[in-house]
Amino acid sequence: MSDKLKDVINKQNDQQNQDDAIDQLDDIVQLVGFIIGDEEYAVPILSIQEIIKPFSWTRVPQVPPYVKGVFNMRGAVIPLIDLRLKFGLAEQKHNDETRFIVMKHEDEVAGFVIDRLTMALRIKKENIGPAPDTINSDDTLIDGVGQEEDRIITILKPDKLLERDF
Amino acid sequence: MDEFQEILQDFLVESFELVEKLDEDLVELESNPEDLELLNGIFRVAHTVKGASSFLNMDVLTHLTHHMENILNKARHGDLIITPDIMDVILESIDLMKKLLETIRDTSSDAGVDVAGCVARLDKIDGGDGNIDTPEAAPAPEPVAAAPVDEPEEDELDYDNMSDDDVEAEIARLLDQRQSEDRAKREAKIAAGESVPEAPPSPDEVKAATPPPPPPPPPAAPARPSEPSGDKPNSGGSKAAPATKKAPAVEQTIRVDVKRLDHLMNLIGELVLAKNRLIKINDDVEERYEGEEFLEELNQVVSIVSLVTTDLQIAVMKTRMLPVGKVFNKFPRMIRDLTRELNKKIELEISGEDTELDKSIVEEIGDPLVHIIRNSCDHGIENPEDRLAKGKEETGTIKLKAYNEGNQIVIQIDDDGKGLDVDMLKNKSLEKGIITEKEADQMSDKEAFGLIFRPGFSTAAQVTNVSGRGVGMDVVKTNIEKLNGIIDIDSEIDVGTSMKLKIPLTLAIIQALLVGVQEEAYAIPLASVMETVRISTDEIYTVEGRSVMRLRDEVLSLVHIGDIFEVERIIDGGEHAYVVVLGLGAQKLGLIVDTLVGQEEIVIKSLGEYLKGIDGIAGATIRGDGGVTLIVDVVALMDIAKSVKSSVNKSSSSSEKAATKEKTQASDYTIMIVDDSKTDRTIMRKALGPIGVTLVEASDGQEALNILKQGDHQFDAMLIDIEMPRMDGYTLATEIKKYNRYKNLPLIAVTSRTGKSDRMRGVESGMVEYITKPYSADYLSSVVQRNVNFKSEFLS
Repeated sequence: MSDKLKDVINKQNDQQNQDDAIDQLDDIVQLVGFIIGDEEYAVPILSIQEIIKPFSWTRVPQVPPYVKGVFNMRGAVIPLIDLRLKFGLAEQKHNDETRFIVMKHEDEVAGFVIDRLTMALRIKKENIGPAPDTINSDDTLIDGVGQEEDRIITILKPDKLLERDF
Repeated sequence: MDEFQEILQDFLVESFELVEKLDEDLVELESNPEDLELLNGIFRVAHTVKGASSFLNMDVLTHLTHHMENILNKARHGDLIITPDIMDVILESIDLMKKLLETIRDTSSDAGVDVAGCVARLDKIDGGDGNIDTPEAAPAPEPVAAAPVDEPEEDELDYDNMSDDDVEAEIARLLDQRQSEDRAKREAKIAAGESVPEAPPSPDEVKAATPPPPPPPPPAAPARPSEPSGDKPNSGGSKAAPATKKAPAVEQTIRVDVKRLDHLMNLIGELVLAKNRLIKINDDVEERYEGEEFLEELNQVVSIVSLVTTDLQIAVMKTRMLPVGKVFNKFPRMIRDLTRELNKKIELEISGEDTELDKSIVEEIGDPLVHIIRNSCDHGIENPEDRLAKGKEETGTIKLKAYNEGNQIVIQIDDDGKGLDVDMLKNKSLEKGIITEKEADQMSDKEAFGLIFRPGFSTAAQVTNVSGRGVGMDVVKTNIEKLNGIIDIDSEIDVGTSMKLKIPLTLAIIQALLVGVQEEAYAIPLASVMETVRISTDEIYTVEGRSVMRLRDEVLSLVHIGDIFEVERIIDGGEHAYVVVLGLGAQKLGLIVDTLVGQEEIVIKSLGEYLKGIDGIAGATIRGDGGVTLIVDVVALMDIAKSVKSSVNKSSSSSEKAATKEKTQASDYTIMIVDDSKTDRTIMRKALGPIGVTLVEASDGQEALNILKQGDHQFDAMLIDIEMPRMDGYTLATEIKKYNRYKNLPLIAVTSRTGKSDRMRGVESGMVEYITKPYSADYLSSVVQRNVNFKSEFLS
């Protein structure tokens, strides 16, 4: 009986390992997609700490308009950045689809306001192209451009998003 | 290797503690060269460090301490009188020792520090006044050993110069002596009729029982003279110190990693926040369920939780407390060096060194204090000749004391020097362009004293290496202010100067005054708040574009908190305002706020890397309702206030021009219906439907207010029910009328309350019409049309 069980478990493990192996072979990048304005963007899933519904925040003086202020996430005071404003779009009222994506890079944590989430994505590395040449590669927020079926998704760099630029 | 690291860590901790103590002892020794207790203590430190470092293969350190030990040993035996010059060399060697220890701490090895020069000087003293450091020296101390000083380590030194065999032989001999000593003692005790303990007394106990200075006590007397170094054999030459410690009151302590304490402190911070929140909820519940029985029980629980939390907070704070003496320790040595350097005579009196402060503050406070004391020595205390000429004592005194005052600790530095000359300070500042002629004239003495803290100010006629190090007293001020502390100076010419540093006990949790401006709240550290006053707006005067008010017999400059933090003015302030008088040393500023919310204990949280360095904001805290409130940085605020243009009396009429657009059709009129009953809302909708206006519904006051604030619609009128859950009609009307832009929005009460007092309340809260249920549809429609100036051509 127990031998049988072991067999089953081993088989399962083998299969799992194989799956993993395939994943590694294929070099798949896991991302979370979201919409700002008319465009779809994505950030690596591992850089996301959580995604929450909007709630109240406190304005902070002397910051650019895209820094909305700070909010309380379970006892931590975290800056809130509106990506619409940061990307030069007009401000929009928060609605049912608005979300705060809390991202983390090393010790830096910040919340980002996005228009709505799309889905978790698995894109093969080979389907990700570099950022367009017209963008200065050192300063850009863009990590690359991914293609998924008929969609084009701009992949952002979390570390750049979390970098203070004022 | 790990074991080695562990030993190394222990060694470093122990050595630093010893060395810290050493400085103090050495200075005292200089004034008391005869004090054997002190000499022995110092010798033991050098000895202990030597022993441990040789064990750890720290050759350079061993080499140095070995030579120090030689000198000290001689001094201890009276072969060498400690003159100031010798002391200089000894102190130099101790500095080197510290440096070595630091190098070891940083690199785990003692390479890279050159001790040759110092060792040579030590040797010179050694060679000049006594025996040279050779094996032959070994017998030399022996005769001295017979002298009244009966210290155990006498032969210590010699072991290093003995061959292994000699050492073996010596140990054997000493063991022998020890045993015979014990025997003799036991016999003596028996003879004296005492009961003999099972185990022979440990050397420590023997020593403890023996008063430090000779003569030895009677019971041990017979044994003593014959055994010059009798109670030493077990120490094997490296661990001398423990054997001679005076039996200390056993301290029950555990070393704890600071990180753990920090973590604990953070957790307490969270708990304090939760407590605040609990109290707030309790208040809300109390309001809503007034008179219910369970309230009492809830109240009890809340107060117990709040009490325990406060106690817990204090208890944890105490674990982080260190005596300020840790910092004070290094000053006797510093003063001594300075007096020699400056050729002055200065005495330092320290008191209150047991006063405790948070560890992080103790660490931060050292440098500012060094600077202040250096300044007192250099600029404050006069030369001995000048002092005599003035009829003062030749020796100047600097008093350094610490004491508690309420929630603060005060560190006071007094000198009896020449004091601060107000005119001189002003002239100097004028010369350097720090202040203008006019400012100088208006300045009070206190403010003039404050000039020494201005950047770019140095009163030393010539830059000495003592206080003219490129950093001025302004750095002191910044450092103290970083700790939320303030500096207060008092001075009288030829009598002296007194500086008081007032520092909060802890950094993490503070008392704050919460103030409201428009819809925002800010927290001001209570330590900087001197008072609050309520004034009417016509008490504010404008002088040269700045707002000021008269506070008793002073003129106080004012600034509106909204101007500093760019707060949008949407609510009219009214005729009254509150002024929070902020005080920082001699500086004062009146901060105008709309409301005073109250005093609260807040936990300071950083805004993080992304938002750091915002002028006027020191951090943030989380309030009872879960929201974030920013903490005002009073120091920065005072600076900002200087450049902010006054707008206190400016009326905020600009917002009114968000004027009504020209109506081109009936649906341009928007009316909000606020009623908790669906039926009532439908009736109103039916009544107003025929005229074609746009209708928005809200089911209670809170929802109505939110819809209004969102600004999606420009409302022309509101129909408001009085009896509603969450927020009733009166409250809603009062809230709405706080906003400038809704000043002229017609509010129409639609209610079944018909009493006269109800109508009066309606008018008071800003309602323009009062419709009682039931009403006819036509009547409602006509009232609405009248109030929104409905154009008749839209009526079909």
